Amino acid sequence: MNILFKEIHELWLATQFTGFMSQTKSRQELYEFSNIIFKHLTWIENDFVKKDIAYGYDIPQVPIKVTHISVMINDLIRRIEAIEEKLSSCDDEHITFRMKSDLEYITSILKTLPEEEVESAFDSNRAYPNIELTTTARDALTVFLFEEIYKEYELILVYNYSKANSNNAFLNRIFQILIDESFFHLRSFGQMMADMGILSVPRSLMEEIYKFDDLEQFLKDGIEEEKGAKEECKKLAQAVSDSSEHFASFFMFINNQENYHIALMEEALAYINKK
Amino acid sequence: MNGEEHLIEHMMNPQNYGNLPEHNSIGMGKNPQNGEKVAIYLKVVEKEGEPFIEDINFQAIGCSTTIVAGSIITSEAKGITFSRAEELISVTIGMLDNVPPEDAACSEMVALGLKASLDTYRERQKDPRFPMISYHISNDCTPQEQENQEIEEKR
Repeated sequence: MNILFKEIHELWLATQFTGFMSQTKSRQELYEFSNIIFKHLTWIENDFVKKDIAYGYDIPQVPIKVTHISVMINDLIRRIEAIEEKLSSCDDEHITFRMKSDLEYITSILKTLPEEEVESAFDSNRAYPNIELTTTARDALTVFLFEEIYKEYELILVYNYSKANSNNAFLNRIFQILIDESFFHLRSFGQMMADMGILSVPRSLMEEIYKFDDLEQFLKDGIEEEKGAKEECKKLAQAVSDSSEHFASFFMFINNQENYHIALMEEALAYINKK
Repeated sequence: MNGEEHLIEHMMNPQNYGNLPEHNSIGMGKNPQNGEKVAIYLKVVEKEGEPFIEDINFQAIGCSTTIVAGSIITSEAKGITFSRAEELISVTIGMLDNVPPEDAACSEMVALGLKASLDTYRERQKDPRFPMISYHISNDCTPQEQENQEIEEKR
């Protein structure tokens, strides 16, 4: 079942990042499918926790560099077929049935998605469509996107792991909001990376990042990181303000969203300390 | 491919990243200031009486510069003997004098992780239960601008 879990994790990323490549209506379909596949991941994970089976998020790098989207779509279908063959390793028949049904439907739709040339998502051009960026702004944005796409992926998995391994309804509500927020940011940054020709799947997480002993310390560190991210966003907004008003307001928006994340983490911290 | 494209390529596709299940040595380079670390996994074989790095991988808790440094240094270290790897470490650390300290810290962490892994292997030849060796970096990872700001805030 551990192999099944890893393959679902890889399929989730491959589907999400294929969505970033698309410039057509397929993008929304792929986003929805990646949501469903992420849910599958959490079902298997909950089963692991119930049965006290050790598991982790370590996966090999997911290759996505292609010239045409059909190559990725065929890869997704091949991945789904491999998963379907392993579904019997999950002994919860309700989960198996639901997953099988979802995957069959997803495959049927994938087969109908139109062809698209997606070479520009990987050409390292780092030019943003219709926006003139200075070299400084372009370099700052490049580093920011690489750092932040990894960070959002990390946060999704860290909060997901914490949620799966906690029965505390108060904390789990906060973890879920933070997961949802990170998904939004991951998608914003992923689309920007594709637009700039630097799309790539984040590296896998070291186990000690999500299997931590001290939630209080984790939250304290997290608050500091969010404050750091706010500063980065402010700097970026400044760096791109001459080139693009749209970008500047986007980064100020992200900066202000970090306030909400900090408030949520502070709420969780206060709750733990009160307990 | 120019230098800039080369760096972007390493950021997009870091080489040798991830766990190496068949490793027989591991070492760690750490930044005690901020908890960043790099683990270097080695699969070592003996060739003509000298240890030889047949395979190498790394994992990191760190920034993009660390990932790029890890990708480049592990690519250089794959398929060389321990004595050549020692030269690689010393050349890498020697070059860091000309690099801003916050960038030097990342490369130093990778180089010391590799050094720690070589030393762990040597120790395990004498005692197979020898624990993983970790080395701490000497460069300061805090960007100068931020450091000045922190000093200002403390005043």
